[in-house]
Amino acid sequence: MEKSAQNPQQVSAGERIPLWIFRMAALIAGMAVFFPPVNPGRVSGKINQAASLFTTGISRDTVTNSMGRILRSQWILDGDIQSLMIACIVIMLGVAACAAGAAMSLGNRRMRKTGLILPLAGAPVMGIGLYLIQTVYNRMVAHGTEVDKLDRLELGMPGGFTVYCVFAGVLFVTGLIAFLTAEKETDPEVKMGMEEKYKLFLMILPVILLAFIFCYLPIWGWRFAFFDYIPGGDIGAENYVGLKWFHFLFSDPATTRDLIRVLRNTLAMSGLGIVTSWLPIAFAVLLAEIRSRKFQRFVQTFTTIPNFISWVLVYAIAISIFSSDGFINSFLTNVLHRAGANTNYLQIADHTWLKMLLWGTWKGIGWSAIVYIAGIAGIDQQLYEAARVDGANRFRCIWHITIPGLMPTYMVMLLMSIAGILSNGMEQYLVFSNAMNKDVIEVLDLYVYNIGIGQNKISLSTVVGVAKSLVGVTLLFGANGISKAIRGESII
Amino acid sequence: MSKKKEQASATHIRRSAGDWAFDAALIVLFSLFTLICIFPFYYLLINTISDNDLVTSGRVNFIPLLKDAAGNGVPGIQLNNYAALRNVNDLGTSVIVTVIRTVLGTVLMVITSAWAGYLVTKQKMWKRSFWYRFLVITMYFNAGLVPWYMNMLMMGLTDNFLAYIIPGMVAPYNIILVKTYIESIPASLEESAVIDGASTSRVWLRIILPLSVPILATIAIFGAVGNWNSFQDSLLLMNNRPDLYTLQHRLYVYLNSSSNLGAMMSQGGQVSEQAAQSMLNQRVIQYTVSMVSIIPILLVYPFMQRFFVKGIMLGAVKG
Repeated sequence: MEKSAQNPQQVSAGERIPLWIFRMAALIAGMAVFFPPVNPGRVSGKINQAASLFTTGISRDTVTNSMGRILRSQWILDGDIQSLMIACIVIMLGVAACAAGAAMSLGNRRMRKTGLILPLAGAPVMGIGLYLIQTVYNRMVAHGTEVDKLDRLELGMPGGFTVYCVFAGVLFVTGLIAFLTAEKETDPEVKMGMEEKYKLFLMILPVILLAFIFCYLPIWGWRFAFFDYIPGGDIGAENYVGLKWFHFLFSDPATTRDLIRVLRNTLAMSGLGIVTSWLPIAFAVLLAEIRSRKFQRFVQTFTTIPNFISWVLVYAIAISIFSSDGFINSFLTNVLHRAGANTNYLQIADHTWLKMLLWGTWKGIGWSAIVYIAGIAGIDQQLYEAARVDGANRFRCIWHITIPGLMPTYMVMLLMSIAGILSNGMEQYLVFSNAMNKDVIEVLDLYVYNIGIGQNKISLSTVVGVAKSLVGVTLLFGANGISKAIRGESII
Repeated sequence: MSKKKEQASATHIRRSAGDWAFDAALIVLFSLFTLICIFPFYYLLINTISDNDLVTSGRVNFIPLLKDAAGNGVPGIQLNNYAALRNVNDLGTSVIVTVIRTVLGTVLMVITSAWAGYLVTKQKMWKRSFWYRFLVITMYFNAGLVPWYMNMLMMGLTDNFLAYIIPGMVAPYNIILVKTYIESIPASLEESAVIDGASTSRVWLRIILPLSVPILATIAIFGAVGNWNSFQDSLLLMNNRPDLYTLQHRLYVYLNSSSNLGAMMSQGGQVSEQAAQSMLNQRVIQYTVSMVSIIPILLVYPFMQRFFVKGIMLGAVKG
């Protein structure tokens, strides 16, 4: 006891487990506030499905945006909506108290003991809020029966209500256990405080949570791959299909054919990109050979612009140049006086892969070259002088100094593009696709979009997406392994 | 190539004829490519400021033309098409949505990146390297389009303006850029403030932020361009809210609409006859809207250029 009194930060073994359970519960309850599916305040089907507890509490518009008639005719009273929102705010206050308690439990012994009082107040406050929701619900039902419109109101206690009852219970019990097991600070000299490491962690926690919600949580969506999911429906034991969709990819002839076609397009266009990935180096090296600095800057300025416009705008430009009333045709007609020139080049499916490569090069080469131009500027000039003294001409200098100097950067770029061979993105191919070329332009990303969002085949497209993600990660680690083996340096 | 090489190596001190020819060829080559890069923008521009009849008949190829009394093309410009844009359906809302998105999204992204980028340099943080990797991995891995969409649906971020702002706040690449930059700031500056008793957030606000303005400007300007060009999230998430379409999405709709002028122009008396007359065909509307969405990029472009090398060079230094 004497020893631990000297270190007020220390958490004893008996305290540790209840503390962690309580912290996790508080974290989950805190995040659930922003999750629409567990909104305890959605007591009517008329309340926006996308409203979380948080939105229900703060935004009256979101709560009521699809019940205009109901409110106008006073089938639900305005006061009840307000009570509902207050109830939600009360619940949130309770959750906030628990979360603050969890944060404080990272502090020293005095702060811990003080902080753990918060859930003992916060969980009951949540209970009060939940009770208020129950009351509001009862009032709404009573009023709905009175005006005889109960069937129109779609009233019902939401699943989130039960979830939050559980949260409140768990938080109270775990908070109480943690509070009771937490040791008291005996030394009156010790003030509340927290170790720097936990302070820093709490500061970055919001960013980590955002990353978790938008980058890691989608992995939870992979479960759709194992269910026969219909948009708007539920998933559960009754539509669990195991690996059916994975088999379907290979057993359904139409899907298999599509998949092979799409993979061929993807690999062909990525492959062309990789084969021509030296072009930016050539661009940079040749540009550096021009002696006029002004001209270099001029070229660099104007060849980089296309990188900063969207693919939609590139398509607009393509229309202005290549469509039937575009530049090419009007040039042929009005300048060269060639009659009947009105071909819409964008509708011609020949050489689509090559055309896409050219558009990509047009848009990207100036930008990709910048990294190499900067690389050339970073090469030690003494190397060139020494080489020239030894009698090397400019081509030898390029070959023996410039290019080897750029190789490390190029290798990283090359390995990254190999790792991303299945991900060409969908924007370019989406905007350029039309009835003529859709068979040869559809890449994997676009295919997933088309079947998933376009045709609502959520499960099937998830399967394709999962396979793509796994292959992508494998390739990335493979490329990283190669890089480590060859250059002794990792690229990620 | 090999022939030139021989010539060049023969007289490597003075520049040979081969050298001159090579230089000339390079200049021609680069001039040509530069022309290919800028001509489309110029062509788009002259087609929006010329007489629409002449545009329709394909007579505007190299210089903007207006009609003279006899109906022949004479050099000149008019801006009626731009004035008439206010009658194009839904364009105004898209512009407003995109501007708000660009400003809000960029500001929040920069603040988040600056904050997180500073904190991950703190060796003292609990499990620092784990959390840093946790953030960085998201650059290389994503769960796929449809799971992402289902996640956004679950979060209530479909048909919701917040979908443009919140997910974009955490940009791992920018966090790495800021982190690398802050690590290059002499630690002594920060230490002296800490000795004076400044808290972490105070050090960040008073010392780190002012010193990292160059990198923050870099990520801000790239972020702003990215937001301005955003198309995919609007396409995926705003199915039931055409009033929340971004400008690029709106333009995509225009480019793909085969409907006639009447469908794109708002109905009703307030459409001035003259304006409607001047918008003779759909192409001109498409071109003009395209120009409107290109112009802001061209305006910030000169400022951006200063940051190119900094942004890329730092990017090449991996986290």
